[in-house]
Amino acid sequence: MFKKIIEERIYSLLVLLMMVCVVASLVFPATFPTFENFSQILLNLSIDTIVAVGMMLLLISGAFDLSVGSVVAFSGCFAALLMHSLNMPVPLAILTGITGSVLIGFINGYLIAYKNINPMIQTLAMMGIVRGAALMLSGSGVQNLPYWFNAIGQSKLMGIQMPIWFMLITVVVFTFLVNKTILFRHYYYIGGNEKAADLSGIRVKRMKMLGFVLTAMLAGVAGILLSSRLGAALPTMGRGLELRVITAVILGGASLSGGYGKIPGALLGALFMGIVANIMVISRVSGYWQEIILGVILIGTLWLDKALQKKYSGN
Amino acid sequence: MAQLSLKNICKSFPGVKALNGVELNVLPGEIHALCGENGAGKSTLMNILAGNLQPDEGIIRINDEFVNIANPQTAFNLGVSIVYQHLSLVDNLNVAENIFANQQPTNKFGFIRFDKLYRQTTALLQQLNLSEINPRMRVSKLSAAQKQLVEIAKALSKKPAIFILDEPTASLTEKETNTLFSILQKLKSQGVAIIYISHRLEEIFLLADRISILKDGKYQGTFLQKDITKEGLIKRMVGRDLVTAKTASHLQTEVLLSVKNLYGKRFNDISFQLHRGEILGLAGLVGAGRTEIVRAIFGADDFVSGEVILKNEKLHIGHPFQSILKGMAFVPEERKSLGLFADMSIQDNIISGKLSNALVGRWYNHNRVKQLALISKDKLNIVTPGVQQKVNNLSGGNQQKVVLAKWLLTNPDVLIIDEPTVGIDVGAKFEIYEILKSLAAAGKGIMIVSSDLPELLGICDRILVIKKGLLAGELLHSEATEEKIMALASN
Repeated sequence: MFKKIIEERIYSLLVLLMMVCVVASLVFPATFPTFENFSQILLNLSIDTIVAVGMMLLLISGAFDLSVGSVVAFSGCFAALLMHSLNMPVPLAILTGITGSVLIGFINGYLIAYKNINPMIQTLAMMGIVRGAALMLSGSGVQNLPYWFNAIGQSKLMGIQMPIWFMLITVVVFTFLVNKTILFRHYYYIGGNEKAADLSGIRVKRMKMLGFVLTAMLAGVAGILLSSRLGAALPTMGRGLELRVITAVILGGASLSGGYGKIPGALLGALFMGIVANIMVISRVSGYWQEIILGVILIGTLWLDKALQKKYSGN
Repeated sequence: MAQLSLKNICKSFPGVKALNGVELNVLPGEIHALCGENGAGKSTLMNILAGNLQPDEGIIRINDEFVNIANPQTAFNLGVSIVYQHLSLVDNLNVAENIFANQQPTNKFGFIRFDKLYRQTTALLQQLNLSEINPRMRVSKLSAAQKQLVEIAKALSKKPAIFILDEPTASLTEKETNTLFSILQKLKSQGVAIIYISHRLEEIFLLADRISILKDGKYQGTFLQKDITKEGLIKRMVGRDLVTAKTASHLQTEVLLSVKNLYGKRFNDISFQLHRGEILGLAGLVGAGRTEIVRAIFGADDFVSGEVILKNEKLHIGHPFQSILKGMAFVPEERKSLGLFADMSIQDNIISGKLSNALVGRWYNHNRVKQLALISKDKLNIVTPGVQQKVNNLSGGNQQKVVLAKWLLTNPDVLIIDEPTVGIDVGAKFEIYEILKSLAAAGKGIMIVSSDLPELLGICDRILVIKKGLLAGELLHSEATEEKIMALASN
């Protein structure tokens, strides 16, 4: 039991989360353990988590994508512009925004998988290109979006904000896909040993491209949700999101070298970061300290994890 | 007085005794050849002299002084210099920077003196009659043969007293080989002790003053070159009891795999047929192109022209997924880097050849994976506390059984295995032979690439010998001997 908790990051993170929550509830009984506070935490991390699910998939396969933050901005701005300036119907505009994002993912994936461009360089370049495109499309931003568009991100279902529902659905669907379908199982093998995967008959290049396409698609969805929640599309949306998301996913059990990670880990990693940030706000820690503390937590978690694994798995 | 003297050197690895009481005496101004089959212990001995490995037992004397070669730096200080079979050059640096890597001339501030570096390199290359190589040329632009010569120049830049070469002519053409030989003669006249390792017997008889022979890690004696014949040498290198006796053949007449006029980058005009129930061996020297041939057949690499026909169906190969689907399986030689997902569990490895075996209804079922893995574990006798263990924690033999189990679950008709028993202890070796025989009995066609001749002689119905990318000959089980194979594979 104890060994299993240490070996599986999902469980150890869950235990850690519960301990943090218990302590925070004892110290701040009036402000921390409330429905409002938790729904605020979840709302704040819903956009990041949707992107983190895609990022988890990529990290399992041994790759990552730095352009997701820019894609979030691009997708929101592109769809907003279509609705606002061209009066395109809301569903069609949303679909076009997401399709644009998928195209970006396709370009990333094609060049990385088939032309052997390093994922870091490729997505770093794409990050700049797409951010530039978002700025060009929307200038200082697009406001006065249609009512029905804003309703997507601002309404509630059963007392819970819609972005939280979208996040939960994404996590559940991808958890199921990764656990239960052959196609998605392939990512573990690709991340575990790409050459051996190829010799086992796995279409490695195709799968890698699909990973980037899916990640960009999720970033596109996140962009639509974010601008709908804000009621405006800003070209600065999603700045720094890529690094937050990668941090969350690593906390959630992924490894930069690939082969490890589970989809719920993306949610737990983001939740852990969200709760820690929330506690710091409640205890009035200055914003400067928050970033420092999050960085220290990331390094500390990984170090502790390595130390415990070494001690208990005996190798 | 010997320049280098080894006595009773022993070295064990888990499951294998790589060296067992090896002796070697090399005189100054002598070219001393070291002979033995693959796995005889030559590289282990080299690595001990280079300071990469420590012997378990035995003494090493250089210039009559007892030495302990603790690391490569010590070896360097003792004047031991080695040209490795695998190149150690950095592609993106130029010739001079490679030759003097680690010992560039510097000024008193520690900055590299490039003028002196290039002067020294030019002088060294001229000494070696290699003045056609430009010291400022990037190594990546050199031919394979030129790289080998630069590697030799690099080893000589250290002005060694003991100079060791491991298969130096593998990538050289005749002209460069002659250049190398004249360099060696020159060094010899300067009193350098030279140890020369090669599979090419004619070179050994051309160059060597004395010949020492290793077999299965044991010292077989040292002979003056003029006192031993080529046949005598081969006999001392290979002659030993068969590892396993060939039982009844299960050869049937149906052709499973037919390869017609296959041309690739490192092989030419390969044609042969594999029958149901047949175990077909592919023999040849390391680097003859055997692995390249089987990889091309499996679809892991492209070939230039020719046909691969599996069960009367032509394969349009470009990726292994198609050959796997049609019933082919391939166990690569490099188990860790190509055959296994080392950090994943045994069960995940076993299912990886055909994930659809894990489907229950439409969905992937982890319990089913475990069940299948447990069945395989019992069938192939994989020794492990559980199938959820990381495959990395298993011994070489059990890892190889995991790879076999993986492919058996795809239910192949044709199984290709590259070096089935490399790095595997004797007990597991025997088990793997038994598995292969029972597969042949079950009507599968099996192709084995191996450098272990007794292994091929023990289990194959037929042996193809590859030399320099060409089919050099074919021997039936009844007529094949180690001497005949060696004669076809070398010259």
